[in-house]
Amino acid sequence: MLGRLERSYDVVVVGGGPAGMGAALGARDSGTGRVLILDREPDPGGILLQCVHSGFGLHYFKEELTGPEYAERFFTKTIDRDIDVVPDCYVSGIAVDSDGSKRVRVMSAAAGLRAVQARSVVLAMGCRERTRGAIRIPGTRPAGVLTAGLAQKLVNMKGCLPGKRIVILGSGDIGLIMARRLTLEGCEVLGVFEVMPYSNGLTRNVVQCLEDFGIPLHLSTTVAYIHGRDRVEKVTVAPVGPDFRPDMSRARDIPCDTLLLSIGLIPENELSQSLGIKLDEITGGPEVSSTLETSMPGVYACGNVLHVHDLVDFVTNEALLAGRFAGERAQGIRRPADNIRIDAGDNVRYCVPHTLSPEREHTIYMRCKRAMKPCRLRVGNLLEKKLRFVVPAEMIMLKIQPDLLEKFQGDSLRIDIVPESEGESGV
Amino acid sequence: MSETVKLVCIMCPMGCPLQLEHEGSELREVTGHDCNRGAKYARQEFTDPRRGLSTTVAIAGARWSRLPVKASRPVRKEQVREAARRIHALRVQAPVRCGQVLLKDLLGEAGLDVVATRSMDRAAKETPASS
Repeated sequence: MLGRLERSYDVVVVGGGPAGMGAALGARDSGTGRVLILDREPDPGGILLQCVHSGFGLHYFKEELTGPEYAERFFTKTIDRDIDVVPDCYVSGIAVDSDGSKRVRVMSAAAGLRAVQARSVVLAMGCRERTRGAIRIPGTRPAGVLTAGLAQKLVNMKGCLPGKRIVILGSGDIGLIMARRLTLEGCEVLGVFEVMPYSNGLTRNVVQCLEDFGIPLHLSTTVAYIHGRDRVEKVTVAPVGPDFRPDMSRARDIPCDTLLLSIGLIPENELSQSLGIKLDEITGGPEVSSTLETSMPGVYACGNVLHVHDLVDFVTNEALLAGRFAGERAQGIRRPADNIRIDAGDNVRYCVPHTLSPEREHTIYMRCKRAMKPCRLRVGNLLEKKLRFVVPAEMIMLKIQPDLLEKFQGDSLRIDIVPESEGESGV
Repeated sequence: MSETVKLVCIMCPMGCPLQLEHEGSELREVTGHDCNRGAKYARQEFTDPRRGLSTTVAIAGARWSRLPVKASRPVRKEQVREAARRIHALRVQAPVRCGQVLLKDLLGEAGLDVVATRSMDRAAKETPASS
């Protein structure tokens, strides 16, 4: 039921987006009884609710859904499975008792300040957008500079347009989607500017969100200055050299009233940090074992708080797993500790989880540093897999069977992505 | 005289550069694709390009002021803007169930419906968090 808050739960999930709902369902699947989702928004569903475009669910539901449809299917399941969902609340801290159980401090619109007892906690707070400060755009500080995701919420849920003449910095998928969205709402999108020599979004979105509407994409170009006293009046754009510095001799001004930023996402880990949980410098999320348990026993993490995903379907699978292990722990089931560490090798930016156990099948999520095609994914001397291509924008998913790890004697497993030719002459 | 149209395949992130050789409205040859999905995409784009369309409509009596909706099937590419304008003019009243048809036969095309993609209940009262 929506809004009920008991004193004690087996599993408490922080965040009611796709990761949180998946984790809660995973916990119920493990046989655990009392599961609670805490969410700061009035409705669970997280960022999916503002992603009105389609493209969700192709892996998990085998059909193409919009964000709100994907969210609603999961929300319906949480009701069917008797999971308590409390909206309009905020987790302001988690304390650990001497017996290892957790006390979650909840600030709720309906119930005030409360402490909830939990055997396991799943962190599913998602991520937030990088803002102007993260890339230090020079200029004045007028109204009309906002992140693409905030504009998405304003337009798609609150019915407010952020402006009329829009410039977008950053070609991430949210920026591309918003270029189309604002065009269809009657705004004029003057161009998308990307500091890198390639788009950070999917080709599909470049074609269907920009080219279809005649919106120009300027690569190797950035916004070098923001002008305007109360409201954005214009931005100065300039091409960048190999050092990414704007070449001001070739700069030009674009009159506009709004600058949208689509310049990356950061896992939202203030709560994790307040607990002293160890974070991975590259992902910005917690380091986790193969059970998705963080460095604090009984605290698990999944979804964009762990590492930024590009498909919600993968978030769901990861969350179901985190929830299952959190639920098992709440019932006193202990899995053997991991004994193999994963090292990100050549052209691998990161791998999640950080350790493995030969006890069961694993799914490893990873990202490459640069595009390569064709290539080979090499897992120590255990496995080689041919890949047609890898690109940084697309997460690579690798399943590893337990029999493969049983044969493994070492304590660390290195994963490399190497060019096709090198792979053949290799191990 | 055959002519060439260049497209970028969007079926996967590989983004193969496709060349479509055609004479008038007749497609002669597709090259540049790495797999059959590219050939299929090129043919579809050449003969009948369509796009999925999702947007929002005004809703009264709900917690939020916009209700997400979609066209029940892809819209002809050159009709996307017109379709969006027609949908924009819709006004609905809470409650609405996900999957509910809000408008039938959009642009006079039989079976092309506008469908709600989210359920929205009647708001009991204004929620402070949504103001």
